[in-house]
Amino acid sequence: MKTPFRLDEHPRRGPQPLSSPPAGYFERLPTRVMAQVAPPARSAQPLAWLLRVPASLRTGLASTLLLGTFAASLWLGGEPLPAPATPAASLDAVPSAQLVEYLTSGETHVDMLDLAELPAHHLGLTKQYLQPSASELSAALDAQPAEETGLL
Amino acid sequence: MEDHEILAKFQVPASRNLAFNQLVRKYQQRVYWHVRKMVIDHDDADDLTQDVFVKVWKNLENFRQDAQLFTWIYRIATNECLSFLQSKRRKFFLPLNDVGAELAAKLEADPAVAGDAIELKLQRAILRLPDKQRLVFNLRYYDEMPYEQMAEITGTSVGALKASYHHAVRKIEEYVTNADTPAANPDEAD
Repeated sequence: MKTPFRLDEHPRRGPQPLSSPPAGYFERLPTRVMAQVAPPARSAQPLAWLLRVPASLRTGLASTLLLGTFAASLWLGGEPLPAPATPAASLDAVPSAQLVEYLTSGETHVDMLDLAELPAHHLGLTKQYLQPSASELSAALDAQPAEETGLL
Repeated sequence: MEDHEILAKFQVPASRNLAFNQLVRKYQQRVYWHVRKMVIDHDDADDLTQDVFVKVWKNLENFRQDAQLFTWIYRIATNECLSFLQSKRRKFFLPLNDVGAELAAKLEADPAVAGDAIELKLQRAILRLPDKQRLVFNLRYYDEMPYEQMAEITGTSVGALKASYHHAVRKIEEYVTNADTPAANPDEAD
């Protein structure tokens, strides 16, 4: 027959029935706990103060920062780029003397006579570039070779 | 240092760390052993003990001094233990007996228990109790805590705690008495 086990007759193993923790455990534990709850000041986050600011104020700050960044980028971006120049505007920028020299050079096969024969509606353009006086025109015509004059 | 002195110093930012250090030194052993008896393994007990004190730190400012600091800390520790055991079961989809078997295996590896056959039977019998009943048994049998204090910690009435404890004692005695029979094998019973 089994002997009934009675808890109140069993010698109680104090308040700690299990094996003790490693030596020095309770000496180190406070330091380990403190390291978790109160980290050293130097390791504090630089923006930790932001977490203590109310949420509405944080939203306001974020919006202001965003708008400020946008405005600064616009301001620092400078004036808008100029529109691409039209052909006429580009041509206006070239000095007249340079144009005449180019047109009367051998490569373009245009001579003073071609310029003189421009259609009537282009006369203004001819005048703009050549601007001859009557005497200059006479002198130019007189200087043409006789064969060419005969063709007129 | 008395609890009220610790609490007063904790309210002052300059002495807050010092006060909390004193609090940890004062209660660390009781918290550790309370947790250790529930989770058996030292490493688990170590993690949980630290978690308990971190929670104490976070909530100490809101501590209402109409309760005892000691019972308040014990309540945090108790909740941590029960959550830990519950999450362990959920995490590994383990039934009740498997977690009990895991704790029993750790217990049998403990050199303080392994060499004493009757003590090993007793500890195995305690492990077979449901978590909350085991907690009640530990507080009453090992810590010799008054039922009124236990009621503050567990949020249960004194009458219910007395009934739970006596029922736990009866189950333990029955298990240890019949421990040699196959029906008393912890892996098969319950």
